[in-house]
This record gives sequence, structure tokens and C-alpha cells, in this order.
Amino acid sequence: MASEPFLDVQGLTIRFGGLTAVGGFDMAVAKGSIHALIGPNGAGKSTTFNCISRFYTPSEGRILFDGQDITRLPARAMAGLGVARSFQNLELFSELSVFENVLIGAHVHAGRSWRDAISARPAEIGEHVEHLLERTGLADYAQTKARNLDFGHQKMVEIARALAMRPKLLLLDEPAAGLRNREIAALDRLLCELRERDGLTIVLVEHVMQLVMSISDRITVLSFGTKIAEGTAAEVRAHPAVIEAYLGRETTHA
Amino acid sequence: MIVTTSPATISPAPRRAASATAIAGLVIAALVAIALPAFTTGYVIYIANLLLVFVVLCLGLHIVIGETGQFSMAHAAFYGIGIYASALANRAVDLPYPFAMLFGALVAGAVGLFIGALALRMRDIYLALATFAFGEAMQWVFANWDSVTNGPNGLRISPARFGSLEILSDKQAYPFVVLFCVLMIGLTILISRSRLGRAFRAVRESEVAAMAMGIDVRRTRVIAFGLSAAIAGFAGGMFGLFQTFIHPDSLGFQTTILVLTMVVVGGLGSIVGAVGGAIVFGLISEVLRQAPQYQEIIYGGILILFMMYAPRGLFAFIGDRIKEVRRGQ
Repeated sequence: MASEPFLDVQGLTIRFGGLTAVGGFDMAVAKGSIHALIGPNGAGKSTTFNCISRFYTPSEGRILFDGQDITRLPARAMAGLGVARSFQNLELFSELSVFENVLIGAHVHAGRSWRDAISARPAEIGEHVEHLLERTGLADYAQTKARNLDFGHQKMVEIARALAMRPKLLLLDEPAAGLRNREIAALDRLLCELRERDGLTIVLVEHVMQLVMSISDRITVLSFGTKIAEGTAAEVRAHPAVIEAYLGRETTHA
Repeated sequence: MIVTTSPATISPAPRRAASATAIAGLVIAALVAIALPAFTTGYVIYIANLLLVFVVLCLGLHIVIGETGQFSMAHAAFYGIGIYASALANRAVDLPYPFAMLFGALVAGAVGLFIGALALRMRDIYLALATFAFGEAMQWVFANWDSVTNGPNGLRISPARFGSLEILSDKQAYPFVVLFCVLMIGLTILISRSRLGRAFRAVRESEVAAMAMGIDVRRTRVIAFGLSAAIAGFAGGMFGLFQTFIHPDSLGFQTTILVLTMVVVGGLGSIVGAVGGAIVFGLISEVLRQAPQYQEIIYGGILILFMMYAPRGLFAFIGDRIKEVRRGQ
């Protein structure tokens, strides 16, 4: 990769009190790629993810997005820059309709004119929301309250809502967790399509290896807060440190 | 062709039926409202005026509690600020009364913004207690700032003027009260449907998600408080249209609880609930005036019953029963 990375995490260190959750972590994400961040439970993936989306502030290190230093920006500034995120444990607007959930995703785009700002359904944005609902298989549930959906559809609302921000970088925190096989296949298709057709850059934290191995251009492996491997799916799968981190070290000599 | 602004992607039939019912209800309500003075005595008109003021007060509380999900126990204070500010402005300046009303709303709104900013760090019960303390403090100010509010003797409110028209009776005031009430309902609907209203609800439902959508949560909460207080202050200005006297005693905790009960009983989070709750509960409290010794007990009982059997409010409860009956057939 000769060109400058789209997202560049440099020497990221996050301490909680005396505990170092992540230490000296680097990650470079190429534009238009799907980059997975994996690792055993407690490796610091979500902590890193929350730093990039600016919900946590790192103790040390820098985060550059599209050449701009975003390390100290507030979380609410991310949507305007084109960085959207989903939440691992669902942070839907439960009492609101699916349509309104996704419409709120377009908040930063809905205030362009007075007409838009006072409209219940700004024309062009409303169409975009409907288009997103089609694409994510939610069109039939537009007027359903988010809390009345099953888990799989709720996870899709998270993604549709993030897409409504018209992001350049999409950050997904365990989008496949708890999904059934059929739903994972649909997610797989959607994410690949977003990369191919929309040129979206996607960073995901994920435990579901079936998805990670299938769609990722590059995989970074974290264990105990440090990077232990990085490469393509095949490279990472064969990496001794990764096998050790996931399966443990063999105690007997072969 | 009927052009609707609502997203009509899914099942337009029930939506159309619902809006037809709503429009029919509004037309009937409007006819009753217009015809009322022809059939009734001054006392009934006085009650109607007061009810409509409480409708607007409930709309104000709805913005902060129903839409934004923040507790406020200070709305009697904002209402009081509106009453005093518009009465004093009306006395001081020779302009049509709506200017005095706007002044009352602005003063209440400014105080609301200030309180909202102070309350930013607080949530739930702490917010309730802090706003309660502010409400009590304001009542003390009303009762003791003699040079401005005339203290415990109460303040005489001079008649509202619209150019050469001076309003001297409840019947004269009534059309204006109806007009301002309708305007405020329209304004609240407009706010609720707008981008700002969506931001209010996003903050209510999930602050972290709202933040990720680029919503400034702190600013949104402060704006909600300010708007809510301004509407309550406007209700205070409406009070001055037909009232000749204000006493600090009527601006205490009881009024706050009454408004809170109206909004909860009507249905938290819906404008229909806030308006309907004000009317239904306002009528109940008027009937209960015959037996003041039981008033508090009955309020409490109604509130408990609603919490237990209809936590989403009277109108959601009725709607659910109607659906059940239809399904049964």
C-alpha cells in the first residue's frame, strides 16, 4: 500500500487507572477496504473501536482520518466528518419507528435548509431513507417500533441508521453477534456490496470468523492490548501467535 | 388527490382512517369551542378559558418530559414568571396584549435556558429534586419581591388590550384564548415533527446513539428546557387575558403536580395525550371542587390506577381497547 491510509491509528495507548487496556497499537486501514479487528475476549478491541469513534479518548497516540487528526474531536463531530458507527449492544431509539430511527441517522444532512429542518420527511433524505430500508431488508417494517423487531432486524436498523449518515468510513461493532446463519449471509452480501458499489471503507470488530474470513481484505489481531498479527485472512489464520492466542499453547513438545 | 407529508410507504389505509378520525374529532372540538359562549354562563366560559391555559401549560411540559425525557418539577414557576412578566409588561407599555404575552414567554424561556444549562449534569431523581427546589424558590420570590410582584398581597392584572378593544369579561377573552391555544398546539406539532423534535426524541431514547448521529446532546437538552419554559410562560400570558388577579399561592407545588398528572394520565410522549389529559383531568378537578376534602385522595387514586392499568396513558388505553374490540369481531 503506497498511498496514505484512510484511517491511521498510531501508537494508541489506553489506560484505565493503572490498567493498560491497549498499548502502543498501530493500524492502517486502506481506502475502500474491509478491515477486521479480531481477538479473544478482553483483548481491547471494543476499547480501540470506541477510541476511533471518539467515545473514549486515548492516553497516548494519534488517530488520523483522511489525513485529519481526530484524536481530540468530540464524538458528535464524527457524523459530520463522515464516520458512522454501530453499537455492539444495540443503541436503538426503541420507542420510535424504524423509519424515524434511520431518519435520525441523517440528522447532519437534514438541516441544510429551513424547509428541511421543519419537515417531518425532508424530500431527498426521505427517499434515501426508504432506499436504505429496501437495501437492508427493512422496507416492510418502516412503521414498526424498533423495540418490536426481532434481534436480527434490530441489528440491521443499527446498520441502516449508520448508513443514513452517508459515511465515508463505517465502524461496525460486532454486527454479526447473535445473528442466525441466514442473517449472517445477508450481512456478508450487504457489506461486500457497500465496499464494491459504494466504495465504502469498513472497519469491523467481530467474533464471527465465518464472516470475518469471508469479507475482510485485511485482518488485525489483538491480544492483551497489543497487536500480535496482521494480514490477509489466509495469513492470519496460519499465524502461530494467532493460533496460540485463540487455542492456547501446546504444553507437550511435538 | 390527498397529499400527505407523512411517510406513506406502509399500510396507508389505517393511517388514513386514523387521520380521518383525528380530523373529525378536531372539527367537532372546534365547533363545540365556537358554539360554547352562545349556550353557557360566564362561569363555564371561565372554566373553559382556564382549561385551555392548562392545555398550553401541558404542551410546555410535554416538550421537556414527553419529547426529551427530562424531568421538570418547575413548570408552575415558569408559568408564574410568564404571568407576572406579561402582566407587568402590559401595565408598563401601551402595546397590544400579544406583545406582553411574547415578553412573558421570552422571560420564562430565558430562565428556562438558564435552569436547563444548570441542570445538564443532573438526571432522573436529581433533576426532579433540583427543578423542585427551583420551583419552590421561585414561589418564594413571587411572595417576597414586594416591589415587583406586590408580594403576598397578590398582583392586580390590568385588562388586556387589542388596540381600542379592552377585554373585560371571560366571554370576550374566550375567542383569543382559543386562538392562542390552537396556535400553540400547531407550534408544538411543528416542533415535534421537525429535525429539532427528532433530536429531542433521540436524546430521550439513547444519548450515546444521538451523539453518534452528530446530535449535540447538551445543547438539545438546554433548548428543550428553554422552549418548554417559554411555552409555559406563554400559558401565563394567556392567563392574563381573562384573569384580573394573581396570587403566589396558586403557583406552588400543587400546580406543578396537577400539570404533571395531566401529562402522565393523558399519555406521556404524545401531544394528543398532553392536550387530552389537560382537558379530562381539568374537568375532573373542576367536578372535585364540590368536595375539596377528597380532592387530593382522588387525584392520588387516579394517578395510581393509571400507573397500574394504563401506564401509557388514557388515550393509548382507549386506542388499545378499540383495537381489541375490532379484532374480536
